[in-house]
Amino acid sequence: MNPRRSLATRSGGLLVLSVLIGLLLLLAISMRVFGITASMSLDEMRGAIQAAPDYGAILLVNALIGVSMMLMIYELRWDALRVILTVAVALVFGYLMTAFFNLDAANRLSSGEFRVNVVSDVGPLVDIYYGDRPSGEFTGPDADEPLTEASYRFAGSAGDVLTIMAFAEEEDSPLDLQLTLLGPDGEAVAENLDASDEQRQEYRRQLESPGDAILENIELPADGVYTIVVRPEPQSEVQVGEFNVRLDTDAPSPIDFTYNQPIGAVFNAPNVDNPLTEASYRFLGRADDRVSVLAYVFRSNIEVDLQVELIGPDGSVLGQANDSTEEQRATFRGLLQRETDAALEGVRLPEDGIYTVRARPEPVGFGTKLSETVKATNKAYNAFLFGPLSRLNRWVTWIKDAITLIMLGLAIAIVFRAEQFSLGAEGQLYFGALVSGVIGLSFGEIPKPVLVPLALLSAATAGFLWGLLPGALKAYLGANELVSTLMLNTIAMRFYEMVLTFELQPPNAGYTASDWIPDNGLLAPIIDVSGDQVTIAVFILILIVLFAWVLIRRTPIGYEIRMIGANIKFANYGGVNTKRTIMLAMAISGAVAGLAGAHLALGIHRKLILNISLGMAFEGVVVALLARNNPLVVPFTGLLYSYLRVGAQFMERDANVSSEVVRIIQAVVILLITAEALVTFVQRRRRVRRDRLSSDIQPSERLMAAPPQPPA
Amino acid sequence: MTLIQAIDIVKVYPNGVLANDHVNLSVNQGEIHALVGENGAGKTTLMKVLYGLEHPTSGEIRLRDEPVTIHSPQDAIDLGIGMVHQNFMLVNSFTIAQNIVLGREPTNGRRLRVDFEQAIKDTEALSRQYGLYVDPLARVDTVPVGMRQRVEILKALYRGAEILILDEPTAVLTPRETEDLFDAIRQLVNAGKTVIFITHKLREVMAISDRVTVMRDARTVGTVNTAETSEAELARMMVGREVFMVVDRPPVQRGRPVLEVKNLTYINENGRTLLDNASFRVYESEILGIAGVEGNGQTELVEVLTGLLPATSGEAYVDGVPVLGAGPRRVREARVAHIPEDRLTNGVALTATINDNLIVDRYYRPPYTNSGLLNLEQIRLSGENLIRQFNILAPSGELPVASLSGGNMQKVVVARELSASPRLLIAAQPTRGVDIGAIEYIHQQLIDQRTNGLAILLVSADLQEVMKLSDRIMVMYNGQIVGIFRNTPDLSEETLGLYMLGAQRQSPEEMEQLQ
Repeated sequence: MNPRRSLATRSGGLLVLSVLIGLLLLLAISMRVFGITASMSLDEMRGAIQAAPDYGAILLVNALIGVSMMLMIYELRWDALRVILTVAVALVFGYLMTAFFNLDAANRLSSGEFRVNVVSDVGPLVDIYYGDRPSGEFTGPDADEPLTEASYRFAGSAGDVLTIMAFAEEEDSPLDLQLTLLGPDGEAVAENLDASDEQRQEYRRQLESPGDAILENIELPADGVYTIVVRPEPQSEVQVGEFNVRLDTDAPSPIDFTYNQPIGAVFNAPNVDNPLTEASYRFLGRADDRVSVLAYVFRSNIEVDLQVELIGPDGSVLGQANDSTEEQRATFRGLLQRETDAALEGVRLPEDGIYTVRARPEPVGFGTKLSETVKATNKAYNAFLFGPLSRLNRWVTWIKDAITLIMLGLAIAIVFRAEQFSLGAEGQLYFGALVSGVIGLSFGEIPKPVLVPLALLSAATAGFLWGLLPGALKAYLGANELVSTLMLNTIAMRFYEMVLTFELQPPNAGYTASDWIPDNGLLAPIIDVSGDQVTIAVFILILIVLFAWVLIRRTPIGYEIRMIGANIKFANYGGVNTKRTIMLAMAISGAVAGLAGAHLALGIHRKLILNISLGMAFEGVVVALLARNNPLVVPFTGLLYSYLRVGAQFMERDANVSSEVVRIIQAVVILLITAEALVTFVQRRRRVRRDRLSSDIQPSERLMAAPPQPPA
Repeated sequence: MTLIQAIDIVKVYPNGVLANDHVNLSVNQGEIHALVGENGAGKTTLMKVLYGLEHPTSGEIRLRDEPVTIHSPQDAIDLGIGMVHQNFMLVNSFTIAQNIVLGREPTNGRRLRVDFEQAIKDTEALSRQYGLYVDPLARVDTVPVGMRQRVEILKALYRGAEILILDEPTAVLTPRETEDLFDAIRQLVNAGKTVIFITHKLREVMAISDRVTVMRDARTVGTVNTAETSEAELARMMVGREVFMVVDRPPVQRGRPVLEVKNLTYINENGRTLLDNASFRVYESEILGIAGVEGNGQTELVEVLTGLLPATSGEAYVDGVPVLGAGPRRVREARVAHIPEDRLTNGVALTATINDNLIVDRYYRPPYTNSGLLNLEQIRLSGENLIRQFNILAPSGELPVASLSGGNMQKVVVARELSASPRLLIAAQPTRGVDIGAIEYIHQQLIDQRTNGLAILLVSADLQEVMKLSDRIMVMYNGQIVGIFRNTPDLSEETLGLYMLGAQRQSPEEMEQLQ
């Protein structure tokens, strides 16, 4: 606590200022939530407000948010700026980290699945490639769609050694196949009627029928398009049946694709060892064929910016394209999708031979990378900072989360006031949730006005006792409260899980959770946005805030808590029963944490589930620290921190940035508060400089130089 | 010849306190230069500037007329400036020789191993040279305070100090040890060293220094030759007004016994008997002073009587009511007030407000608490009253105590304890670290309260203070009460000293007579 803070006055001016800022906050939030803009007329505004369900209660909660801001400013005075500054610095760090995660934002312009296609009226020039295994079924000449002969074109190179087989689908089939290989000139290169016994032995897995045919180790005499012809031997009685063809070779295929048959891959796929940065595909082209070479994204939401080149058989570049025009996209509808797809239209091929299509992502400049990163980060941060207000149900999510967080923050603020570093809120929360949940589940027939207070009271009692335990351990045995509470947390969590799994989980449930708590046991909603509810927990929370404030500021127990927090030896010297105070501080904190658990069970989840706290108790520590353990400030810091938490979830959803960013913000907040080095440093520098400037003032004046005192 | 000079030093602390305001100090070669001033006058700050612990906001330091900049204690040591702090900076678990060579260990050839033989020899040689006796092989925590101080001085000399700054060196010493220290200082000066001696005890200034510089309110008031001044003049310079060094203790008939202690024994958890079968009484309208070298059971006596430590055996009654065994609240309910020895540890909560500090013994009673709620208005009003009544220099009771000076913190404690309308006041070192003005005030308060019927048990390491205030003086040695005296003018410091050092003790019968 620095003297300046206490010397600052709680003048009427501060009150007016804080009320004004609170009102502004109320206005800003309400406008966003109701979707009001400044250009609307009053009637339109009223309409927008009245269109929202339970708008009165929404306005009330927004007013409470304004009040929390007002209280924060009024209570902390200059330190209020520190709270804001701390969060702002943390947000800047968060922004940098988000940007860091978005450094690859430009990558979407150079990565993604694509297709290359050579479109020609000629149609495909080949049917199969080396290694293909086509199959078919002869139906005989009398069938509706007769198939009596199958032929397959493929591109071959001179000197390649091939083994071609044609065999019946079924074993010992009566189908007797005849296999002919025609050369580029249409003359038969080789023919086979039936495989020899040795061949049938060697290829026994394929050649299972006596009528199967094979052309073994045929060396191709020239480059060109060959044709495999398969048909049942004409003199055979059986002219129908399923058959298979195999074209096997060790030689590489001279081409990868042919006209009108797209081929593609993924550029710069994430998480692969050798990402593809450039792709080349060969095809067989004939002189004077008119072709259009296209490179396009596989799906319209892929954003890779493609460029394409056509390279002739002699290696010369015949054409290159980076983009496509609107007309081209109309012409090649269904293929070209984006402006960034590349189209090289109407190329007349100069000669026969093997052409190559080369496709690659267009290179991305540094400026583009930077602007993409900033754009993506801004988008993410926009979702982060304004997400919770973008829709009413998101606003409800925020308020629900904040209520739990504020309760936990209050619990921790109470115990931290006593300088007891109890982290037991988690365990107390579990007990509170369990006890209130069990009561809600078991006594559904008791009317709501009795059952709910009973459940809340029991939850508070359970938390109280679970806080008393480490308090007693500390007071009488000197057990470090940090260690004991963390251990007791685990016990509480496991106990909760045990009861939930073995006692509460309905036998037919698919996952570990209790039944829905009957309506009589639930906190009544005051706002209902299509099932998302804000409950009367808002009012319970107000009571808890008032309770914590009166306790700390206005009761002897609060005085004792503050004194053992300030100097426990002094408190003991003054006659304070320090053991009792330690226990009470921890137990009262536990009671509040227990209520937070009841809120989770009866107000949010409406049943008991595993991991009901989701580790929120530890976030309560941040809330309490931000609020300087002041119960009147906790509501604001809880709302603020919850806003960031919820915002991070929406950022994850809307902008595909991990919500872990909020962890970074959390870490920075904790660091800044624990150290407060930055702020103190800046203040010190400023004060030293100011004192240097005015070092001629009398020392006594300087020492007494304090803002005027408020009138009594 | 001027050895070291501080010229126009200005030091502003980050919290805005102006601790040195154009301060000048000039110290000659080979002199003992006393620097006096009340607490908070800026003496220690000036020395920290000279020793490189603080950086002056402006001003210049000259060594042998050469301007120097001292960024760190290392720089100061390199320039031959050594400092002995008020709180010793020694490693308790090391031997004296190890402490002296720490950081400058002699090595034998290879740099990795410390030559402890050499360290012991060096220590012995240094010790002989300056007549500062120490036992090189003794562990620091086993030797008396006086020797620890000599270790500090030797440490500085070992590092080649030519100028020695001694920051309130006598605060922790017995009269005898003080004499020894003065002898050693004279020997150092004979050996050519220069000594700057910080104190606020004027008697010592007169006894040892050649010249005196007086500081007040962060400024230098002036420098005078000791031979040409007097204690009264120095006091006037320090306080800025006439100071009454003698407290008038009006004779008053003592009343009924208030505190009765019977066979009180305290054995700590290590089995050491720190308080051994102590029995005594304190009466209405009486100040019973406890004399003794620190660490002879006075602290434990106070803490047992106030409920902070549990008695091992024995009893204590206040107005016939047993008070032991139930903690401090029981003692306070019996109307015992306690000015604790270490006010920063026990007497105040620094971060709490002055008002909160003023009610720690009474917050739970009406009018401070009514029907379960604190009456903040009443707390604020009574805080304001006490601040006014006890002259606490604070603009508001809502300020944290940490913003007050040491003397005003002590006034907060005194205000609280005296306003509790006690029957018995246990005052432990009530003026330790407090400036002359505040001492005068606190002494007057104690005397007035005693004259009005309060029973006071006074513990002080300052024998002068005990002799000035007490009606009777009880001497403690080794946890035992070894003598009780009526404080008559013929009682001498020397007599008490013999008892304090355990050289003499009274028989139980003699003591019983003086109860």
